[in-house]
Order: sequence, then structure tokens, then C-alpha cells
Amino acid sequence: MSAATHTKKVRRFNPDRDVKEWHGKYLPYDLVKEGIIAVVVVSLLTVGLTVLFGSPDDTPVTVKSWSTANPVDFVQTAITELDGSSGTASYGPPYNATAGASPSILGVSPASFFGVHHPIDTANDFVIAPLKTLPSDPKVQAAISEYNAATPQQQAAWTTAYEKAVANATYTNGTLKVPAGDYGPVGTMMASLASMARSGALDGALMSSRQFYGTDYTKPLMLIADGTYLADLGHAQHLSGDQWGMMNETGNYPGQAWLWLYTMWYQVPPFKTSANADLQVWGLMMVLTLLLALVPFIPGLRSIPRWTRLYRLIWRQHYRDLAAGSASSGRSPPTASSVPPASVST
Amino acid sequence: MQTLSTALIQVLGSVFNLTGPGHYINWGFIQLSVANLIVIILMVIVFFAAILIPFRRHGGDDR
Repeated sequence: MSAATHTKKVRRFNPDRDVKEWHGKYLPYDLVKEGIIAVVVVSLLTVGLTVLFGSPDDTPVTVKSWSTANPVDFVQTAITELDGSSGTASYGPPYNATAGASPSILGVSPASFFGVHHPIDTANDFVIAPLKTLPSDPKVQAAISEYNAATPQQQAAWTTAYEKAVANATYTNGTLKVPAGDYGPVGTMMASLASMARSGALDGALMSSRQFYGTDYTKPLMLIADGTYLADLGHAQHLSGDQWGMMNETGNYPGQAWLWLYTMWYQVPPFKTSANADLQVWGLMMVLTLLLALVPFIPGLRSIPRWTRLYRLIWRQHYRDLAAGSASSGRSPPTASSVPPASVST
Repeated sequence: MQTLSTALIQVLGSVFNLTGPGHYINWGFIQLSVANLIVIILMVIVFFAAILIPFRRHGGDDR
């Protein structure tokens, strides 16, 4: 048995992994005091900036405001809800089970995995059910009964005819004028729905839920989003994704600029033109977040702070003191691991 | 009551009203609002200030 076998193997010192034992002086550091100062400063800044600048206070878009500002767009959208050709009707999970509508990445479709857990049947939820809440209008109830009793082919013929006619609809003197056509009871249903919307009753009907306090705005929001009114408002405020690299706000308020990395990817290929961008960007950000969390374990990446020597700029006074001390004592210059540790006093 | 609430709104309301048409900057394919640009500049200033402002020197209570 050779002597080398008995020799304990000593691991080579790695400055990115190992720490030299500190033999110098310790400095006191009051962590609680610094925390309290930070909370006070941030609180004062928050209150001060709130008083100075307030917060965005745009008038909310409701079905009532939409149908009042652009009744023709409302009716053109409503007919697509009835015939099942709207964006919501073909959205896929979590609203309905439209085949192939869910985004996927590497063959995994999270939306399909969770399934339809907030079902929306656009014809019933957005048109027929709200109209049924008008029992005092026998004409509307008769129209609904006629529509429901018809075959799917007949319903499709009516809605198709109405969709063609409503493309040339006008709204004058509080009345929706749609060119004549063979659209059966659909004309009565749409006219009543438009009146209901303009009165604000449709907002209430779409908000009806089992909760005591209605906080689920999914249905009115999805209906509004199917039209062009909300998109036009967003586009006018530069909120339709054309601003580069960050979240944005209305008016002259700043958005969440620190989220720039998340939204930047939407502006660069291939995400810019991908129909699956949401999931791809999310996946990329998860990978980058994982890389950030694992920096201490990734050779090369963990050496960047030592290579860039930014720490010497932050602790420059300490290094100046050490250099002055070593010059006077004739010792070697300070090393990267010679920053004095602080003893935390609480 | 109406006067009191109006006065409260005036006291508590913002001094600078930022609601209104936004201002935007276009550099080729980059478009951003002036408000966001100001926030970014402030963030950069704070970052460099955090690096460059010297630490408070400790007194003689070193251990």
C-alpha cells in the first residue's frame, strides 16, 4: 500500500464555490433598523405620489356603454353569439370544447388538461337566457319559442340571413334599422337584446351568479371583447400590444416597466407571429427564471460577478482601505473574498 | 354635504392629472410612452445611485 493511498485528497479552492474563513474585524449592521427605514420611505413615497398623480380613472366599458356608443357593432356581435361563430364560441377551454383551439407547447396543452371549467354557451348565455328574463314581453318570448322549436338548419338559415342584413344596419332616433330579410324570429330577438343592452339590463343579466356579491365579470367581458368597440378603444390608447417591451397603462400613467422582459418577447420573432405566443413566452420565462434561481450552481454563469468585478465598485472604500493598509504594511493586495462580513444585530 | 365631498375630492385628488391622451415615442419598431420612458430612466438612476453612493462609514464600535 503506497503512501499516496493514505494521503487525503484535498479539493482545489474554487472562488465561485468556496469561501475563505474570515479572520478580520466584523462590523455591526442593524437589519431591523434598515427594514423600518425602507418601509417608512416607501410608504411616504407611495402616499406622496398618490396625492401628486392619483391613479388611472377611465370610465369602465360596460355592455350598456358599448351598445349606446355603437349599437350596430353590438348587434353584429350578438348575432355571432347566437349562431356560434364568435371568438368566445370557438375559444376552447376553459369556456367550451372547441377542438384544436387550445394552445400547446411540446405537445402539452395545459388548457385542455384543466378542461372546460367555466362553460359558456354563447347562444344561450349571451342571448336566449337574458331575453328569457323579460317575461312581460310576450312578443320576445314567442320569438324565443319559435327559434328554439326550429331545426338547426332553419336556425342557421335565419342567423345567416340576419348576419348579411345587419352588415348594412343603421341606428337612428333610438331605433335599430336592419334591412328586410328572411330571418324569422331572429330580428325580434336581436332588437330586444339591443334595447335590453342599452337599458343596462343585459349587464345585470350577464352578471347573475350564485355568489352574493357579483365579482365574476367573465361573461360581460367576453361578450364585449367579441365586438370591435373595446378593441378600438384599446388601440386608441396604444394598449393593443403595439408598445414595445412592457405592460402599459391608460393616459399618461406609466405601466409596469419592470415586466419588460416578459412582454418583450411578444415583439420579437418567432413569438411575434405565433398564434401560440402566450404559452411559448410563459415557457421561456419559466426557463429563464429557473436559470436565475440556479445561478450559484451553473459553472460560468456563476463566475460572471467575479469576472465583472462590480463588487469592487460597490465596496470600493473597503478595497481602498485594504490597499492602503497592505501598502503600508508591505502585505499582498486584497483578494475577491476579502470583503468583511457584517454581524447582524437585531 | 355636496360642498364637503367636493372639497374633499379637491384636497385628496391628484395635483397633476395624468388622465388624457398619452404621449408616445417612436424609434423604428420601438414604441413606448413617455411615462414609461421616465420610469425606466428613474429606475436606471436608482440602480446607479445604489452602486455609486458610498456606504455610511462605521464608527468605533467595530468588534
